[in-house]
Amino acid sequence: MKKILCLLLSAVMMLSLASCNAGKKGASDKAFKPSMDTSASGNIKIGGGYENFEALEAEFERFNVYYPNVKLVYTKIDDYNNMIGTVLNGNDAPDIYVNYSWMYGREQYKASIDHAENLADPSLGLDLKCIRSNIILKTDDGTLPMVPVFANTYGMLVNQTLFEKEGLKVPTTYKDLVKVCSAFREKGYKNPLMGFTKKETTSIFTLTVYPFFCESVANNAEAVKKLNSLDASAGEYMRPSLEKIKQFTSDGCFDINSCNEIENNYDAVIMRFFKGDVPMMTCSGDTVSGTKKRESRSEEFIANPFKYTFVPVPFSDEGAVFLDMPNLQFSVNKDSKNLKMANEFMRFLITQRELSEMAQNKGLVSPTKDLSFNSMYAAFGKIPEKRIFSPEVIGITDDAVIQLRQASYRVATGQMTIDEAVASYGKLEQ
Amino acid sequence: MESTKSLKKFIIIFVNVIIMAAILVFVVLYTRFESRDSFRRQIENFENTTITMERVTANYLEGEQRICDVWAQYINGREMSVKEAAEYIRASHVLEHTSAHVIELDSLTGLSTRPRLGTTDDYAVSYERLNLLNDVKWIDEIGKSVNITRAYTNPMNGEQSLAFCNKVFLYDKVSGAKKAAVLLRVIPISELEKKWVFPQTELVNAEISMIDANGDYILKGYGFKNSSFFEFYKSYNATDPESSRKLFDSITSSTGFVSMTDSHGQECILAYTPVTDTDGWTMLGLVPSKDLIIKKENRALFIVVSAGLLILFISDLIYVLYFNKRLQITARKAESANKAKTDFLSTMSHDIRTPMNAIIGLTAIAEKNTADEESTKESLRKISLAGNHLLTLINDILDISKVESGKLKLSPLTFSIVETVENLVNISQPMIKEKNIEFSFHINQFEKEYLYTDQLRLNQIYINILSNAVKYTEPGGSVSVDLREERSDVQGSIRLIYVVSDTGIGMSPEFMETMYTPFSRQVDSRVNSIQGTGLGLAITKQMVELLGGTIDCQSEQGKGTTFTVALDIPLADRQRDDMKLDPIDVLIVDDDETMLNTAVDTLSSLGATVEQATGGLEALGMIEHRHQSGKDYNVIIVDWKMPEIDGLETIRRIRSVIETKIPILLISAYDWSDIEDKAKAAGANGFVSKPLFRSTLYDKINNLTGKESGSGEPEEDYSDLKGLNILVAEDNDINWEIISAMLSMFGITTERAENGRICVDMISSAEEGRYALVFMDVQMPEMNGLDATRAIRKLDNPWAASIPIVAMTADAFSENITACLDAGMNGHIAKPVDIKLVIKEIRRIKEERR
Repeated sequence: MKKILCLLLSAVMMLSLASCNAGKKGASDKAFKPSMDTSASGNIKIGGGYENFEALEAEFERFNVYYPNVKLVYTKIDDYNNMIGTVLNGNDAPDIYVNYSWMYGREQYKASIDHAENLADPSLGLDLKCIRSNIILKTDDGTLPMVPVFANTYGMLVNQTLFEKEGLKVPTTYKDLVKVCSAFREKGYKNPLMGFTKKETTSIFTLTVYPFFCESVANNAEAVKKLNSLDASAGEYMRPSLEKIKQFTSDGCFDINSCNEIENNYDAVIMRFFKGDVPMMTCSGDTVSGTKKRESRSEEFIANPFKYTFVPVPFSDEGAVFLDMPNLQFSVNKDSKNLKMANEFMRFLITQRELSEMAQNKGLVSPTKDLSFNSMYAAFGKIPEKRIFSPEVIGITDDAVIQLRQASYRVATGQMTIDEAVASYGKLEQ
Repeated sequence: MESTKSLKKFIIIFVNVIIMAAILVFVVLYTRFESRDSFRRQIENFENTTITMERVTANYLEGEQRICDVWAQYINGREMSVKEAAEYIRASHVLEHTSAHVIELDSLTGLSTRPRLGTTDDYAVSYERLNLLNDVKWIDEIGKSVNITRAYTNPMNGEQSLAFCNKVFLYDKVSGAKKAAVLLRVIPISELEKKWVFPQTELVNAEISMIDANGDYILKGYGFKNSSFFEFYKSYNATDPESSRKLFDSITSSTGFVSMTDSHGQECILAYTPVTDTDGWTMLGLVPSKDLIIKKENRALFIVVSAGLLILFISDLIYVLYFNKRLQITARKAESANKAKTDFLSTMSHDIRTPMNAIIGLTAIAEKNTADEESTKESLRKISLAGNHLLTLINDILDISKVESGKLKLSPLTFSIVETVENLVNISQPMIKEKNIEFSFHINQFEKEYLYTDQLRLNQIYINILSNAVKYTEPGGSVSVDLREERSDVQGSIRLIYVVSDTGIGMSPEFMETMYTPFSRQVDSRVNSIQGTGLGLAITKQMVELLGGTIDCQSEQGKGTTFTVALDIPLADRQRDDMKLDPIDVLIVDDDETMLNTAVDTLSSLGATVEQATGGLEALGMIEHRHQSGKDYNVIIVDWKMPEIDGLETIRRIRSVIETKIPILLISAYDWSDIEDKAKAAGANGFVSKPLFRSTLYDKINNLTGKESGSGEPEEDYSDLKGLNILVAEDNDINWEIISAMLSMFGITTERAENGRICVDMISSAEEGRYALVFMDVQMPEMNGLDATRAIRKLDNPWAASIPIVAMTADAFSENITACLDAGMNGHIAKPVDIKLVIKEIRRIKEERR
């Protein structure tokens, strides 16, 4: 009997090993296969606005596994948006550079688009299918000058340890949000929800109402058109959003005075959250990307570390909206002296695995369809597709968004009534 | 005991392995130490290179700053407008890739010396969005220090650049207002990178960066990550805030090096040194540690040393094992030798004491019975036998001793095989007679009488084998000897085949395997009763081999033994002249057919007409027939021992019945003396012993027929010796007395010289013919016999110088004989002396002198 059992176990082990090997083989089949001489040497110069780009450096080291003699030279370009055109025309032009889709159609950024290679060219072999389609933004003529390598969204940091401690669940509807805030307050938490409030940019109001607004106009091309034209009558399209923000301020979820103490929308937001007494803190994905580094700078967090994650703000009773925005996009300089190697790197990078890896290293949302790779943003992966909206896809322009930001900030802070804000559409200035 | 040996062996191997391991560990540690030391030197070298780079960099920065200073001083001294300042610099600025910007601080705008990229006349430049000149406190007064910006994007051409700065004052030409401005000497980083590399080729992977007091890069090498070196360090190296703070303080304030991990996870050496004349800047050099490790093929060294030690160990082990084995063998041999010595001494004690006991006991008996002549004679005879045995024993011992020590050497000389055989028969006769053994000796086809070899050794071989045969054959048995001459493969030699067969007790196969080993005697009750040393066969074997021959033995227990010795012996130059008898008729009578045929052949070859009879009666018939026909045989030769009627009866009948006076020779393999009287009474005219040699027959027949032969010698007639005077050089009184007494029995007078010197004096002073010869002892005081001989041979007197000298010494080895002959002696007699040999030697000398 024992012998039979041993034989069976051996057979199972053999099969397991065989299947493991088969699995590895399958994985290796999908693995990157260099198309160039791996002993090739040289530098790939990448230009961007970041002071430093550690996630890219880490990614390049993965690329170095295949091409050990190729070096990454990342250059921070001062006054990036204005200078990139000059840099591309000069002697020091990068092979790959950071680009932004909002530059499409704007004359002053024409060089940045014109120097970009069409990445939709199938011969380049980029795995564009792994990226969420609503952030792959082509030009009107159908070319794809850039691909997103990071995405951005708005949401709130959640102190999971506090929720667990207090036996509360992370809210998924606006009603839940109000209840949870109330519950925390009852439990002695002065600020159940906080956010940056000193300026309208990425203020708690913008971060909460903008997704709500996008949802409200997503399927209304007429409204978008009017909003983009900054026609005063388009102000009415903001009304539901303004009413929501008004209700939000009156539902007692946050204390504006406490929020006003947060000096900026990045460091200060993170450091305040790390104090550990705030269950929820609104911020953008950009801000989330800075949390990891700052853990070691927060004495409170070091003393009492806690689990946290980033979730969309449930601003309607239908649930939260995933506002999907490209954060950083890469273009390849079509005049690059290292064009082949630059394209090889892009072919390496634009895959589910590498984009997820780099996004996780950066702390930003991955542009890939599968968001489960990074637990920080996993909640966004669970949002149904119908509730994912991209301003670029909707077609809403920055100017229209600025009007919304100003209006909502002023209504929330009591500087304007809803009617005044609606009436002022197109005329509100930063 | 065995386990102790194994333990010792294990300990030796263990110690060897430990030593090997210790050496290898030493090699490894030493090479590691060397590598570490080399690595440390390389680090120092890298640190020094970084310092050199800092000096070069500092000089460069200072040089560039000085240019900027000169411009600034000039501008400040001329109250220039921004346009004039730009034009001035443009005019004096010649470097292709560099430019200068003059920026008014109130607007952060100004003019460039080179136009905007893509234009020819747009010199306007703005630093508004660069966040570079918003605060210019870091720009020191002119000439005080190097004022350099961080790397930034040149707004005019987009190139990453550095700028050396100075504060200047410009003037509005319209309002005359004085404006604070900054003059920037802008240099593309690409230009700097061309110059800013480590000089050594081995540091090709080394990179340099320059950081400010906050760790922010001023210049950044590829290997340096993040925007701040400190961030870079913390990102890839586990450290706590306190340690990293101390490290950063050290880096920004001193010169040194530290090991760190780079972004690839590889260990690197970071060298740092402050940049002089700057505001807390530090030069950093970063190189992978592996680039500083000089590969010295330590593995090869380790393998070679290991292999060498292993080979040494194995060869030593093999050698030690071999040496041990040899030691064991030697020890066993020594043990065996020791045992052999003990056995030998025991045997010798026994074997010497036995005859000595007889000698002493019988001497005592003889002394007491001096009145009884018969008893005294019997005692003396037995004493003589015991003495002879003792002598044989001593000779054997000395021989085996010499054989074993390898000192036995041959002393070849010309000798007569006839004499050898006669001697052999004579020696064996007493025993044969005593034991009543049937003895036969056959020779066949002997052509050459004189041979050249060591006669003494040859005699020993033959006597040993024959005496063994006789000794180990019980009474009533038979011993036969067959000696024949065969053709030898060796040029100038004959092959002597000596076969001795007996019907004795034989030997067991086991004993035959060891029978040539000294002191080996068969374990047999019959053997134990027979005197023997167990040395005979060992000596015989050695002698045979020494003479280049072979010895073979066939034996069966209880049935008998046959020894066959084959020797190739060179012929002597001297041979007997052609022996031919006058035409005579000879009848030979013998029942032994072999003997008969041999004798017929020999006599025929001598020229005689031979008839043969196989018995006495047949012979009588033939003699009578001849006698009646008037054709008597000239010589009749009759064997003694025959069936029907023996030789004596046959002779008696020849004389009584036929009444003929034909010379009759009686032949026998036995001792003549026993039947001499009876033979003479029967009518025999002479005696010849078997075997019948050609020369013997020739001489005997010639004697009987009244013809002189070459070598006839009188027997039992010592009249020829009477009156001889011999000088005996002998220091020992007893020996002198013995020889003197012995010789006097033969009518020989002697004179004594007590030593060699006296001997020489006596010879030299003697009148010619006073001494017939000299018997010379060798070992004597004052002058030994050899020197005395040499002195005599050098005397002027020819008679004295040529006087025969015969050694008479106890130095009985062949080399002693050779030494004597070499010294000029004419012969050698070994002590104890056999008077027969002495007489024989005297006669030989006499014959030669004649």
